[in-house]
Amino acid sequence: MTGSALVAQIVLNGLMSASIYILVAIGLTLVLSMTGIVQLAHGEIYMLGAYGTYYFCTVLGLHYLLALLISVLIVGLAGIPLEKIFFRPFRGQDFMPSVIIAVAIMIMLQTTAIVSFGSSIKVVTTPFRGVVTVAGAAVSWERLLVIAISAVFVGGLFLLLHRTKMGLAMLALSQDIRGAALQGISADRVSSTAMFIGCALAGVAGGLMGAIFNLSPTMGSFALMKGIAVIILGGMGSLTGVVIGGLVLGLIDGIVPPLLNPQMGSLIGFICIILILVFRPQGIMGRPG
Amino acid sequence: MLEIRGLTKYFGGLSAVSRLDFAVREGEAVGLIGPNGAGKTTTFNLITGFLRATNGTVLFEGKNLVGQTPHTIATMGIVRTFQATSIFPGFTVLQNLVAACYLKPRIGFWEAALHTVSSRRKEKDVLDQAHRILEFVGMGQMKDLPAPSLPHGHKRILGIAIALAAHPKLLLLDEPLSGMNAGEVVVAMELIKKIWSAGTTILLIEHNMKAAMGFCQRIVVLNFGQKIAEGSPKEVRDNRDVIQAYLGVGDHAA
Amino acid sequence: MDKKRTALTCVLIVALFLLPLVVTGPYQLHVLIMMGIAVILSSSLRLIFNLGQLSLGHGGMMTFGAYTTALLVTKLGVSTWLALGAGAAAGALLALLVGYPFVRLKGIYFSLVTVFLAEVIRLIAEQWQSLTGGTMGISNIPGPDTIAIHGLFSIAFASKVSFYYLTLILVLFTLIALYALERSRIGLTWFSVRESDFLAESIGVDTASSKVLGFCIGSFFAGLAGGLYCQYNSIITPSAFGFAYAMYVLIYMIVGGSQKFSGPIIGAIILSLLPEVARPLKEYQPYIFGGVVILVMFFLPRGLVTLPRRLMTLLGGR
Repeated sequence: MTGSALVAQIVLNGLMSASIYILVAIGLTLVLSMTGIVQLAHGEIYMLGAYGTYYFCTVLGLHYLLALLISVLIVGLAGIPLEKIFFRPFRGQDFMPSVIIAVAIMIMLQTTAIVSFGSSIKVVTTPFRGVVTVAGAAVSWERLLVIAISAVFVGGLFLLLHRTKMGLAMLALSQDIRGAALQGISADRVSSTAMFIGCALAGVAGGLMGAIFNLSPTMGSFALMKGIAVIILGGMGSLTGVVIGGLVLGLIDGIVPPLLNPQMGSLIGFICIILILVFRPQGIMGRPG
Repeated sequence: MLEIRGLTKYFGGLSAVSRLDFAVREGEAVGLIGPNGAGKTTTFNLITGFLRATNGTVLFEGKNLVGQTPHTIATMGIVRTFQATSIFPGFTVLQNLVAACYLKPRIGFWEAALHTVSSRRKEKDVLDQAHRILEFVGMGQMKDLPAPSLPHGHKRILGIAIALAAHPKLLLLDEPLSGMNAGEVVVAMELIKKIWSAGTTILLIEHNMKAAMGFCQRIVVLNFGQKIAEGSPKEVRDNRDVIQAYLGVGDHAA
Repeated sequence: MDKKRTALTCVLIVALFLLPLVVTGPYQLHVLIMMGIAVILSSSLRLIFNLGQLSLGHGGMMTFGAYTTALLVTKLGVSTWLALGAGAAAGALLALLVGYPFVRLKGIYFSLVTVFLAEVIRLIAEQWQSLTGGTMGISNIPGPDTIAIHGLFSIAFASKVSFYYLTLILVLFTLIALYALERSRIGLTWFSVRESDFLAESIGVDTASSKVLGFCIGSFFAGLAGGLYCQYNSIITPSAFGFAYAMYVLIYMIVGGSQKFSGPIIGAIILSLLPEVARPLKEYQPYIFGGVVILVMFFLPRGLVTLPRRLMTLLGGR
């Protein structure tokens, strides 16, 4: 492979990974800052998005994109009662019980996947065949699709946050809960919306990933780790930071595997995160303290 | 005893304290005043190591404190109180003092674990010491009350008592009178005078002008992180720049 | 501890020693052994937690200790007892190595950095195949060496029962040590640091070293548990005690109740038994586990140890 083709391959793979990580991380940070919940079950939402897509696409035979959409909607809507019943009662209080509850939900969602689909590896078959050559590198349609769909969702989210009333309310809420309440914006409404969006994003990421890699009930923890890593790297509470962090982490995952293997990519990434936490805990875009 | 030379602290591009020079002689009672945001607490933090100075030196009995950890500085003899009340909330008043006294002396770990006779005697000494300090500050009656249940004024005094347990040579008091009513102020100032007469050097940050001027022998005035005046209470009171600083502050108060 | 409590505890300990006379099934003994390991982990986690730092990487320390023990025994032929101690020491040493930079981090940042440390340990164990056998891990780890005093007696560790007693002794060792530490001057220092670390610092307490010490001791016992496990199970893999297991240990501690010493113990015991009781439900068993955990968090957020007091207020209040 020529030099430029290798670079193109790295960049494209990196972008693909970055897209997934950014989707997961934005969802996680939205939920965290709007509902105050440490949503440790976020990885399982991702996993259910993948299994949902698998079910509608491979089992029921719907078109992949349709299956993805349905699955995303289901997962997003499922998040609303989840937040209302299990997390809202603990909002503003001691965070420990909500963390434990999130873990319990994590366990139960994993069980749901195992019970419904079995614990063997599953594969999502998509209608997109063949590869495309970009700058000399061969890349499957699915991978390009991941990047494209992610960009659409992320772009849509930015528009939502900065143009719609609800979006602005959400931004306001993440800055100052009391201030937002004074303006008559219901914190409950915002929580539900944030949860819906956050879960939907995780679901999209899972459904997209499902087309590329195999599914397993434990795939959620991978997403959670990466999501948290991105948030730390980019700085908590900063969406731009999340995008930057996702790109950096994705790039590492693009560069390292061709040289070594994917696990080394994670290893190097996580060591970087530890170093960041020790030397610059606020991340790239965050403010100290 | 304490000599501050050229002390500077930058936060990003902003200087919270810049080129501060002043000294405190042994046995003195010095007041540090200035409008809100002038950098008084920052100065305390810099002296005691809770913040690291960008530039300058802080000499205590000849040794430079810059770069030292707060606990090392405390063992050298400088103890400070905090602007927000600081007590150990899970303890009673007496337990707060016992903890403070216990945390310093030399009961070896294995001694304490095995409860040897000598460690038991030291435990008794610690208990006695705690009682003595409580009596000294006038809180002997309240010793078994849970610390968080105390009225505000008494909590502040407990904070001072905890600081005393560390046997300070130099005691830095950060707005000890804040939030106190007139009666509590009187009691507190009596206590501070008592501590000073017993030989402890005092550096006091206070907004309560009457109390500060009435007690301190010398006043240092800060504004926007710089020293704008220094002298006896009378000199400072009549100083043009000082009056300007307080009048002109208005909406700059942070 | 008052006399009544001490007496009760002694009775309990004697009962635990006599338990194998009643509980004879190998599977049941296995459950008890794993429960003992869980008790060691949840109690030592509580030590670290009581310093104001929630370590979510406790499983990583356990893995590190387990691999140390396993490698020393299989590759260097070290005596298993020495290796067990080395595993514990390894946990403490690792904590010491990362301790000072780590304890500077507040709240959730500390938790996160411990999570990633555990992940890094797992990934290194996976990747360093020449040393650790990769994802397959190390197998054929022998059980503990026979303790023999010539002519007098010899204790071999061939059966589950002997492992049960070994676990019991290590659990008691751990709990006694942790309890003694908590009641000692160091425990007082730790408590003060947790209550208000800057206040403690301002009167001369080296809060950083104090926290690192707690972190090291907690990790020591995690390493000990790891060394015990690998000799019991004879196999150790990188993901045996990863994030998921760390979460379980956290649940044991919080659901049991982190405020009291007995909290993590009760949590570990009850929540280890729960899956066994719910066994008939087969793959649906985790729903019961999750459901119970959620119920406890809703009604007893401070943990199961608060149950007696809650019941009394409920009954007395009417």
